[in-house]
Amino acid sequence: MTTKLKDVRTLLVQNAREEAEMDGSAMIEAEHVLLSLASPIGGDAARLLAEAGLTRDAIRAALDQEWEQSLAVAGVTVTVAELPRATSERGRNPKFGESAKLVLKRAAERAKRLGASRMSPAHVLVGVLDTKLGRVPRTLELAGVDRTALYAKAIQLID
Amino acid sequence: MDPTDPAAGLAAVVALRRLADRLEDSQVEQAMRAGWSWSDVAEVLGVTRQAVHKKHAARLIAAGVALRRR
Repeated sequence: MTTKLKDVRTLLVQNAREEAEMDGSAMIEAEHVLLSLASPIGGDAARLLAEAGLTRDAIRAALDQEWEQSLAVAGVTVTVAELPRATSERGRNPKFGESAKLVLKRAAERAKRLGASRMSPAHVLVGVLDTKLGRVPRTLELAGVDRTALYAKAIQLID
Repeated sequence: MDPTDPAAGLAAVVALRRLADRLEDSQVEQAMRAGWSWSDVAEVLGVTRQAVHKKHAARLIAAGVALRRR
């Protein structure tokens, strides 16, 4: 059982890394963890996200929208879909960025507080939703998702 | 959107960095596909040849770009 859960966590990280590579990002950020959770590996967490309309494609679309909106603040008008793409690199092997580290730290603290021996996707989702700062909460707001309500539902999954 | 809102302004900084990274990756690739040397790319970017090589060579080799000698 322990091995199985550890596998899920490893797969989540691997998936998040692939999402980062797809972005050409040198770092795995919180949004890549969220995208990873929206995959079949996410289990209950993926189901909860889907119920809120947050499929992987919907999250990707909202992330692009957030990018465009944040650039507009600086007076830069960009249509993300029209940006030139670089060939993404499989070997770049993105490392954990600070936002993703915070997600895992919050997830681990929550798991520990509840006496869980292992972090499940639901713990990780709680970690992702447990902040009002950064790209993920801005993206959720743009997607019309009530982050606080979703956070409460995620907590119920692990309680 | 209110540019005096620090949350929005800081988000813009992150968004601009991501845009610069995306453009750097795609434009270095374009230049090398067009037969530019590492030195020329480095000079335009205002960094050392070693820096641009270290950052992009593996990706471009994996992408099958025929690279000129350093």
